[in-house]
Amino acid sequence: MKVFALRSVVLVLAALVFATSPAFSEDNNGSFWPLSGEFSAEATYVGEGSAERGGKRVSDFDEIDSDILLVLTPRTKFGVLRLGAEWQRYSFGFPDQTALPNTLQSFSTMIGLDMQLSDSIIVRAEGQPGLYDSGLGHLDWDDFNLPFFVGGTYIFSPSVQLILGVSVDVERKYPVIPAAGLRWKIGPQWLLNAVLPTPRLEYEMNRYLSLYVGATMKEASYRVDEDFGNSHGISRLNNAIMTYSEVRTGAGFDWKISPIVTFTGEVGYQPYRDFDFYRAEVRYHQDGGAPYGTISLHGAF
Amino acid sequence: MKIAAISRIRCLPPGVVSLAGVFSLTLIADSRSAYADPVSELASFSIFDKVDLAQLAKSDVKTAHGPPMKNSRFLAVQSCYVAPGSPAQQKEALSQWNPTKYRELKVFLHSDLPSNPKPANFEKLKNAPDNASVRSFVAATQKLSPELQISKEEAKRFSSASAGGGGGVIPPAVVAFWTDVLTARTKSFVSGGMAAQPPYDHAGPSIRASDEVNGLLREQGKIRQQFSGLLGATGIGRGGGSLPADLYWELLDANDHGVVTLGASYSRGGTAGTYQTADVLYYASGGYYVALTLHQLWPVTVDGKPSTLVWRGDMISSSELGSLHGVERLGSESVMMKNITKAVTLFRREGR
Repeated sequence: MKVFALRSVVLVLAALVFATSPAFSEDNNGSFWPLSGEFSAEATYVGEGSAERGGKRVSDFDEIDSDILLVLTPRTKFGVLRLGAEWQRYSFGFPDQTALPNTLQSFSTMIGLDMQLSDSIIVRAEGQPGLYDSGLGHLDWDDFNLPFFVGGTYIFSPSVQLILGVSVDVERKYPVIPAAGLRWKIGPQWLLNAVLPTPRLEYEMNRYLSLYVGATMKEASYRVDEDFGNSHGISRLNNAIMTYSEVRTGAGFDWKISPIVTFTGEVGYQPYRDFDFYRAEVRYHQDGGAPYGTISLHGAF
Repeated sequence: MKIAAISRIRCLPPGVVSLAGVFSLTLIADSRSAYADPVSELASFSIFDKVDLAQLAKSDVKTAHGPPMKNSRFLAVQSCYVAPGSPAQQKEALSQWNPTKYRELKVFLHSDLPSNPKPANFEKLKNAPDNASVRSFVAATQKLSPELQISKEEAKRFSSASAGGGGGVIPPAVVAFWTDVLTARTKSFVSGGMAAQPPYDHAGPSIRASDEVNGLLREQGKIRQQFSGLLGATGIGRGGGSLPADLYWELLDANDHGVVTLGASYSRGGTAGTYQTADVLYYASGGYYVALTLHQLWPVTVDGKPSTLVWRGDMISSSELGSLHGVERLGSESVMMKNITKAVTLFRREGR
């Protein structure tokens, strides 16, 4: 008898716009329902670079980034909930009196939902309400922001998915940023994962080790302290909003060290960085790139 | 196709069981009443609690993911549709379906098997197409990849087989190895059902296909109850069973890797033209541990024409599914639904 049973296992690692990158753990025979989630702990060091504003050069400053994320993803009748928290910190080694904050920091919660609209479309809506500021010294409700995004994945086939989405942050220079992406499994070992914020071309060496080249794009808005302008010689920067953007390009590896933990190492070059107090019209743009290195532990359970 | 037509009420909705006496009287009065409301019966065990038969008859297959299951290796999708003709005709069409005709289904080879298979029954392996999936299958075999789902005993037999070489898409030594494995596994299925299958323990924890299929059914209690009569007479998840099976093997694609798989199909008629079928892929060399497809077929009348209401349940256990979480899992469910929709659409198109 030739009843057409399920002839091919149908796995797709659906990626959504601006989604975090959960690791691919293995065969945990435990309960995916109801407690499952994603975690990530990441640190990046960016070597000495330069920025420039109207002929004023800020030279030889380095950067240390830290990011810790935990998201629970329980399954509900309506889809997969995303409930979690993230702490992110950029620390810069600026010379004294540079009109840029040494620290940019956010502590946010995550509230989102992944929904299956049809057998071809999955939609994610997620907000990250939290405090986005320049340090914990002067916490204020002014620091509160609620960036969010809505994205959809169209599953063209198990090998090809198209992604469309829009990111909204009312405090950002460009509050609404649309984006498109493509996830294409080119062959058994090759994957083009051209999805923001981490577009990559991946090569799976074996079930434990993958290599990749790609980029990381980051952009977020932060509010500086009430007296930041006074203390840095530009009074209009008091309590100002700054949009920070950076792009990294590099190569790295993902090493699955256990069923739920993946270690990632990446090195590369940071060709773009921008500090923009766009409302106060004070902008520092990159004048010299810098090498960087990133390590992270991440996974899903 | 061996059909054991059994004219007993087997697939009553749970809520009707307690009224069996009244029900049988109704049967005498009007034979249509036994399943006069197949939509209600469908709602009683499936995810489709509200189906408009007339609307369904005019539309494509309706597909939905099954209820969430505790075991992360498990995934289930249910679908329903209306097809022209009687359930007997539909069952026959299912039995004649040849998936190799459709490239998009990625079934490269299909061959029926006798109950006492010989190595010659797997000769088609020599004629496998030259593509990336098959080459991946060959490479995995030659290096005895840990991802191969075989037993330790079978792995031992591989070492002598790998000593050989030769041309062809699948080298003779690889053909010989898999012929040996598939022949032995078919024989053990015929003699002792899935319970007699050697475990997958070549390079990891021991997994038994029978445990997996029983787990799948255990987590879908209503479906297990609906099909208990049929399943109890088969070798699915248990010993040999009394119902004869139609056996087959296939070479197919699973996630871009070639996989050889063994299957068994069963079907049985119920009262007044209803049918149930069960198709299990009880062995796979990779990609999934086990896959089970169930069909329930009811005679209905749509626009005055005899038709069949079809419910189909697909369930699968795979180690790779265990690695998916959150949106990845949603994505996999979506793709599974999409593939089933595609297969059903092709099947229905062929029937027109």
